[in-house]
Amino acid sequence: MKKNELMKRAALFTAMAMLTAGLTACGSGAESTESVSDTADTTVAEAAAEETETSGASEESTVSGDFTIGIGQFAEHGSLDNCREGFLQGLSEEGIVEGENLEVTYNNANADGSIASQINQSYVGSGVDLICAIATPMAQSAYAATKNTDIPVIYTAVTDPVAAELADAEGTPVGNITGTSDKLPVEEQLKMVREILPEAKKLGIMYTTSEVNSESSVAEYKELASDYGFEIVESGISTSADIPLAADTLLNDVDCVTMITDNTVVASLPVILSKAAAKNIPVFGSEIEQVKKGCLAAMGLDYVELGKQTGHMAAKVLKGEAEASDMSFELIAGASFYGNTKVAADLGIELPASLTDSAAEMFDTVEE
Amino acid sequence: MNTIILGIFEEGLIYAIMSLGVYITYKILDFPDLSVDGTYPLGAAVTAALIAAGANPLVAFPMAFIAGVLAGTVTGVIHVKLKVRDLLSGIIVSLGLYSVNLRVAGTANVSIFSKDSIFNNPIVNAVFPEGIKSLATVIILFVIVIVCKVLLDLYLNTRSGYLLRAAGSNDRLVTALAKDKGTVKILGLAIANGFAALAGGIMCQKQGFFDVNMGTGTVVIGLANVIIGTRIFKNVSFVKATTAVIIGSIIYKACVAIAINCGLNPGDLKLITAVLFLGILVISNMKKERHKKNAQA
Amino acid sequence: MLKLENICKYYNPGTINEMCLFEDYNLSVERGEFVSIVGSNGSGKTSMLNIICGSIPIDSGRILIEDKDITKTPEFKRAEYIGRVFQNPALGTCPDMTILENMAIADTKGKSFNLKKGTDKKRIDHYRELLLGLGLGLENKLEVKVGSLSGGQRQAMALLMSTMTPIDFLILDEHTAALDPKTADTIMQLTDKIVKEKKLTALMVTHNLRYAVEYGTRLIMMHEGRNVIDLKGDEKERLKVEDILLKFNEISIECGN
Repeated sequence: MKKNELMKRAALFTAMAMLTAGLTACGSGAESTESVSDTADTTVAEAAAEETETSGASEESTVSGDFTIGIGQFAEHGSLDNCREGFLQGLSEEGIVEGENLEVTYNNANADGSIASQINQSYVGSGVDLICAIATPMAQSAYAATKNTDIPVIYTAVTDPVAAELADAEGTPVGNITGTSDKLPVEEQLKMVREILPEAKKLGIMYTTSEVNSESSVAEYKELASDYGFEIVESGISTSADIPLAADTLLNDVDCVTMITDNTVVASLPVILSKAAAKNIPVFGSEIEQVKKGCLAAMGLDYVELGKQTGHMAAKVLKGEAEASDMSFELIAGASFYGNTKVAADLGIELPASLTDSAAEMFDTVEE
Repeated sequence: MNTIILGIFEEGLIYAIMSLGVYITYKILDFPDLSVDGTYPLGAAVTAALIAAGANPLVAFPMAFIAGVLAGTVTGVIHVKLKVRDLLSGIIVSLGLYSVNLRVAGTANVSIFSKDSIFNNPIVNAVFPEGIKSLATVIILFVIVIVCKVLLDLYLNTRSGYLLRAAGSNDRLVTALAKDKGTVKILGLAIANGFAALAGGIMCQKQGFFDVNMGTGTVVIGLANVIIGTRIFKNVSFVKATTAVIIGSIIYKACVAIAINCGLNPGDLKLITAVLFLGILVISNMKKERHKKNAQA
Repeated sequence: MLKLENICKYYNPGTINEMCLFEDYNLSVERGEFVSIVGSNGSGKTSMLNIICGSIPIDSGRILIEDKDITKTPEFKRAEYIGRVFQNPALGTCPDMTILENMAIADTKGKSFNLKKGTDKKRIDHYRELLLGLGLGLENKLEVKVGSLSGGQRQAMALLMSTMTPIDFLILDEHTAALDPKTADTIMQLTDKIVKEKKLTALMVTHNLRYAVEYGTRLIMMHEGRNVIDLKGDEKERLKVEDILLKFNEISIECGN
């Protein structure tokens, strides 16, 4: 009886020990994670090298000093990954290169708010020189975690920093925090759609009601649509499971559809594209990745570029050239045109030369 | 390093308040209440809406609690009066609350950084000099948690509290005492969800924003906290169950912090929680069976 | 005092397993009677108790207490004047609470379960006295959780708790069946003492024919939803265990057992 009790206790402690062991194992796992990020890094470095080649810039020398930064990304997402990649490129263009004079810790919160907060606290605790927060909830959480410290936060992919109270109406940061906004170039997009489809009237937008970024984008579309002779048909969903039905309903009612940077909807893009293709309705994208995947065209953001711009801002702060609290948040400088000729041919639409001539990139295949 | 420890306490203490609620439903009432996933952000939504509208942060406390009580009552009524199974009633309510939370807050994400909160206001700033500001949050939270714990302890020792405890451990006794066990269950769920919403409201004030998805997985954290706490202090008689739950909550958050600092992918964290969870449950089941055998012997 | 009038109760109505338990069953119990009920399994004894307490609904008929119709009264409301002790000792007490807390909660029955202190310190001596009357030494274990007591101790607690506040009826549902013979005797004597002291009207279902004969003022034997023996007064006094055993065997032969 007594022995039995002891055994149960022992079992409980074994379980606890297992957890600890698991955690220690993940400690050793950290090295492997690092090596993974190392390889990721080489690709980034290569990409950066390519970039420097094409832009013809001279090779940068690294800045003296050792920097430690923590990157916190809110969720796993193509655009956000591009941001992170671009961010590190941007830093290296400024001579702050991972593995040389920069140590990077990266964590992804997998869309869990409580984890996001702990990631940021852990960065604050380990005394990083700067936190890079990707996406709105991460930026808010990083701001809350660093409030009583002097660690600067640079955010990116925050659509509306003013609404998120990270900056005041003039764009001045509320604290030691600044970054870049991925606000959609709505006006440019509307103009482009009008140019490609002169007859279209009803423009459909699907968005997730729980994504605050999407709400503000839809509001802006509604505000500007009439200037370009469009009527916006919105379709709000709450989970990705709603998308097929919502898409059927929406496609019955519109002449064309435009995507916004809505995480849930973008993740189900192939569903919408195949349904739209069946009805021969063009779908416009909101960024380069979506055009690659089969959207007709986009006046969109290049998140790698956005990340780079953010990286440049971070470099200024790290080098001591500026304080984050003095820098207004930045929007990406200009939107560029992306088109997909394969999709255009399938739809029987010709992309006007006025757009294709100035395209940032054209695709002639659809990425599966 | 200190910041990490403070961070663990901040998070742990806030989740402890929610866990006190889960302790009522899971341990006392033996009711696996999933509505917490909805009531935790409900408290945050109410708080964010009130503070954004210029209300005093202290007013947000009772309002968040009341909102939670109402939601908990709905879960109870669905279960008791409409005879829906316990798990399903919780799922229904947390599902519905998602929309309610969006309505209450107005949008999916509301920031209140610029407004005063109980952690950041002229009085707190005057009392705590700049250097120990981060300590202030933990101290304030500690006071709130102790108040909640003491109030709950006191309540559980009232006549009404006795009835609640009896309802969980032997509901026939409640009937025998000429009381409707359904009403007692509803009362328990109301109080429990009041605590969950209060915790959500406090989290909202601490982090400075409400996000509609912030409730995901709350109930799992709550259950983990309760189970870890009560298992560890099972045979330590001078530690009250409520204290054990609070400590369990801090231990859980400490484990998460260690995991993150070890470089563990937070995505894997849920699996580790699940395994730990299962382990502890299996052990307590083994223990229960042994109890049963003893009773028969 | 208690009247069951034309009770009909079917199990699984409308299905192939339909079973008639009671058809036009009548019973009348006078104030102060201590009725022992015996009968084979499935004869309807426990179902009758459940019908009186309101644990199971009836299909037709009326249940009256002091000429008041309680047929539609929910179980917990009937508990205001009915106390019940179950076969399973765990059902009458709260295992997660201490002896003192259990006594206090039973003492609160009939009062408002409000925010007053659960245990009134002034009543502790009274509880101790009641526990002393059990002769089980529980008066010195007030802070012990009831869950750790033996079945007999718990059943004694349950008996005490169900009769602590004024009730009209005591329902004893095979309340000694789960106990060893010696403890069962103790509990049975205790029951008799309490019933006599408090002048309760009691209904006791038991499989122990000796208890049925020795205790109580009236004896009923049930079979297939009917009373086949119903004796009181002198007839009951003269009754011996052998007599009912004989009747029992008759019935069993009828049934082909």
